[in-house]
Amino acid sequence: MSTTAARLAEARQFAVAAGRPDLAERLEKALANRSDPAVAVVGEFKQGKSSLVNALLHTDVCPVDADVVTALPTILRFGRPPAAYLLGEADQREPIEFADLPKHITGTEADPAPRAVEAAIDSRLLGAGLAVVDTPGVGGLDSAQGNLTLATLTMAGAALFVTDAAQELTAPEVEFLRRTRERCPRTWLVLTKIDLHVEWRRIAAINEGHLKRAGLDVPVIPVSSFLRVRARARDDTALNDESGFPRLVELVRREIIDAAEDERTQAAEAELAFVIAQLRDRLDAEEAAADPRHVERYAERARRSAQLVTGTWQTVLGDGIQDLAADVDHDLRERLRLIIIRGEQLLAESDPRNTWQDFQAWAAREASRAAADNLMLLVSRAEQLARDVAERFGLEAHDLSATLPAVGPAVHKARDLELNFQKSTIQQFLGAFTAARVAYGGFFLLGGVGALVGVAWAAPLGLLAGVAFGRRLVKAEKERQVQQRRHQAGQELRRYVDEVGFHVGRDSREAVRRTQRHLRDEFAARARELSRSAASAEAAVREAASLTGEQRRARAATIAEQRDRLERLAG
Amino acid sequence: MSLLDDTRALLDRAVAETGDPRLARARGRLDEPLRVAIAGKLKAGKSTLLNALIGEELAPTDAGECTRIVTWYADGPAYAVTSYLTDGNAEARPFTRRDGAVRIDLGRPSFQVERLEVRVPSARLRRHTLIDTPGIESLSADISARTTAFLEAEGEHATQTDAVIYLLRHLHGGDVRFLEAFHGDDGAGTPVNAIGVLSRADEIGGCRLDAMTAAERVAARYATDERLRKLCPVVVPVAGLLGAAGATLRENEFRVLAEVAALPMDDIVEVLLTADRFAAGGEDRRRLVTRLGLFGVRLGTRLIREGDVTDAAGLAAALTEASGIARLREVLRTHLEGRAEVLKARSALAALDDCLPPGSPLAGEAERIRAGAHEFVELRLLHQLRSGRLAVADDRRAGLDRLLGGSGGTAQERLGVPVSDVAQAALAQRTRWQRLAEHPLTGRELKAAARAAVRTCEGILADQNQQG
Repeated sequence: MSTTAARLAEARQFAVAAGRPDLAERLEKALANRSDPAVAVVGEFKQGKSSLVNALLHTDVCPVDADVVTALPTILRFGRPPAAYLLGEADQREPIEFADLPKHITGTEADPAPRAVEAAIDSRLLGAGLAVVDTPGVGGLDSAQGNLTLATLTMAGAALFVTDAAQELTAPEVEFLRRTRERCPRTWLVLTKIDLHVEWRRIAAINEGHLKRAGLDVPVIPVSSFLRVRARARDDTALNDESGFPRLVELVRREIIDAAEDERTQAAEAELAFVIAQLRDRLDAEEAAADPRHVERYAERARRSAQLVTGTWQTVLGDGIQDLAADVDHDLRERLRLIIIRGEQLLAESDPRNTWQDFQAWAAREASRAAADNLMLLVSRAEQLARDVAERFGLEAHDLSATLPAVGPAVHKARDLELNFQKSTIQQFLGAFTAARVAYGGFFLLGGVGALVGVAWAAPLGLLAGVAFGRRLVKAEKERQVQQRRHQAGQELRRYVDEVGFHVGRDSREAVRRTQRHLRDEFAARARELSRSAASAEAAVREAASLTGEQRRARAATIAEQRDRLERLAG
Repeated sequence: MSLLDDTRALLDRAVAETGDPRLARARGRLDEPLRVAIAGKLKAGKSTLLNALIGEELAPTDAGECTRIVTWYADGPAYAVTSYLTDGNAEARPFTRRDGAVRIDLGRPSFQVERLEVRVPSARLRRHTLIDTPGIESLSADISARTTAFLEAEGEHATQTDAVIYLLRHLHGGDVRFLEAFHGDDGAGTPVNAIGVLSRADEIGGCRLDAMTAAERVAARYATDERLRKLCPVVVPVAGLLGAAGATLRENEFRVLAEVAALPMDDIVEVLLTADRFAAGGEDRRRLVTRLGLFGVRLGTRLIREGDVTDAAGLAAALTEASGIARLREVLRTHLEGRAEVLKARSALAALDDCLPPGSPLAGEAERIRAGAHEFVELRLLHQLRSGRLAVADDRRAGLDRLLGGSGGTAQERLGVPVSDVAQAALAQRTRWQRLAEHPLTGRELKAAARAAVRTCEGILADQNQQG
């Protein structure tokens, strides 16, 4: 069997020859579909994430230091010559000097701060079709940054959770790992720094035990970035083997790059199957034309197919989108409302002047968590909706052909087809649909969760020197001031939550619109193609009916030949 | 009469009047050494640090999570272990020592044991009792809960400890939350009785030979971190493994290292490349790298090779020096032991508050001691200063902190001058703070602080006159 790409190209020629440029275009798109899977490197800070990325890709782009350094997510893609960009608030890309990259990754004073930096570097692994995202550990897992990292995981194809061999997993790490797995089923635990710790095998075994007890089926891969770098510098294969990296690289290739390739192939095969079905339809029609009764049936189908563009699938989509938008919006509101309630409780328990810094961190953490969870809801609901629409569309499309006679070699396949109908049509119609990618058009970085601003607290009592307060008065005045500060802090919290709600709400509304537009355009295009196929089949039937016996025999030979070709293409 | 005497007298009266056993215990505590807990996340190196501080391999250590019960290490005439049970009883328990570590036979499930007490004849434990605690953020929730329950000032129970050494490997949100909880909301706990230790400092810089310098840099940054400064004002980098090994290094261990150091340079590089490779050289080496860590092995090999040390004693001294444990002892001395009286008095008065109804004559007396003792005034001011509640210009902050005893209680330490200049410096400081206290534009809170500073200077001057 020839490669999928070759069959797509041949089917495209077939479609052009058959006068169906619309189907040819569909196949071109399937051929061009190349989005590299992203693997996110996540974990608690100071576990060696950046060192791991550097060693994996044979680069030194990610800055490494004894103190916490990575402050921005760093997206690494393949590119020659090397280039670097800042990704801003509205996903705009601003080119920067490659040499300045470390400076930007370790944190800039730019305001608003960029969402991420992107670097294009020459690396074999990236060239094989991969993007690597190094995430900041700043603030720890249970922080605003940790939640933003989780949000990016929704888009990632795989995740490497990094923990070092200095100690076993902690409770927050296992919790983060659990949330990572929910968003990204392809997750591995990478145990780093095995060169430094003589007991790393025991730590690995203890970690495996912890994972098992937590019900997490996550393989553990011990590595030493230090040895890998050294092996590279000395061209020492044995040392490279000792570093444990060959297993990791193999895994990345097989489980991430190849798996993504398989998914692309599957999506392309689905498109091919759709196109071949359309092309075959015309041949079936010509063969069926021998019976004059069929002419009318084909004409009837052509009439009904024209209505498919506005069929009931449109209703499913319209209603579904409305429900989805309302649910996502309600979910966000509810989460934000809880933040305000909880925040006011916290304020009531303390004097904001003393706790404001901690409170800011708390609010940012909760807000980003709300945004990340809201995003997760949106993506899973969008996926469900796409499936519903595809199913309804499939049923409608199937109904159209129900009255048609079964013809030719397709007959014996009919029953199998019937059984697989639900699954195969959905797959066919959904192609390479990925809710997250459609909704956000690329690698999405959650933004709009800034921080509460510093508040200028009312003048402390000391400044009221000179005014003679009695002891009781001073106490009352102090209490009044604390109350006032709480009030002020509460207002600031509400303003902040409003702002977060505005940004996240705007992002998610935009995502819902994109999803709707994508699904509508996608299925409308298919409806037009189906309708065109039906019209073309009707024309073919009429034409064939008017042929003489001699012509019909000659035509039959062509049809048989074309059918052969199509069946070959179908694989 | 000193603060401690006042407090003793008050508690004696209270015990006589109420007969409350809790008060009797609090009274007893006043004559015991300061209680210092060692706390931190799991595997932060608490037991190792404890061993390094005592200078003996007492607490068992392991690659996995090891300490599961709060264990007190106190000075005593002979080695003995007592198990205090959750039902209030206490029983002596048999124990064995393997490689020095005390392995205790509990004889019952660990949840029935509230705490263990190990008596050790050790001069190092005479001024403070050290308390080893299980790690927080452990995956075994009940282990974390034990430490939290033990250390937090929860509800009406006064804390059982007077001070805490908190171990950080890196500053995590959990660390901050824990320290906040230890201090409590009511201001009973203050950043004057917590010391931060950047533990496992040798690993921070990847066990390279400059690792301790890198750790110094990280510790310095933490010391300026505003959130952390409020909670524990000093952060000392310590390589606990080196400290513990330095105190207990054996002759045969030195020989193992000397063998490695005698190899050709290229071989040394290969052997010291990873912990695995070093350990592959035999059981002796494996034990050595477990005890010293890769950094200790690398450092020791270099010292021997370059002829800086020639015997086990020399190596032990060098490792101890590199570990930073001496600096931690110094900080312990100035920050905690120098303040032991006031910290103990404070714990005792807190116990009194718990046991007596507010408004009773005894409670009033406790309040009088609290308000009157200059030591408490200083402690409170230090707390306000460090938590940023007292608005002071930056150039004055450091001076005031020192003067109030923030870096040690002796006159030299308070004034930051040699003994010969104390009188002169005290006079200069008194004039300076006096002027500030009388200045019409000085805020009310700062005025109070300045007056306290003046009083501190006068105290120093009075002592000087007595001596002179």
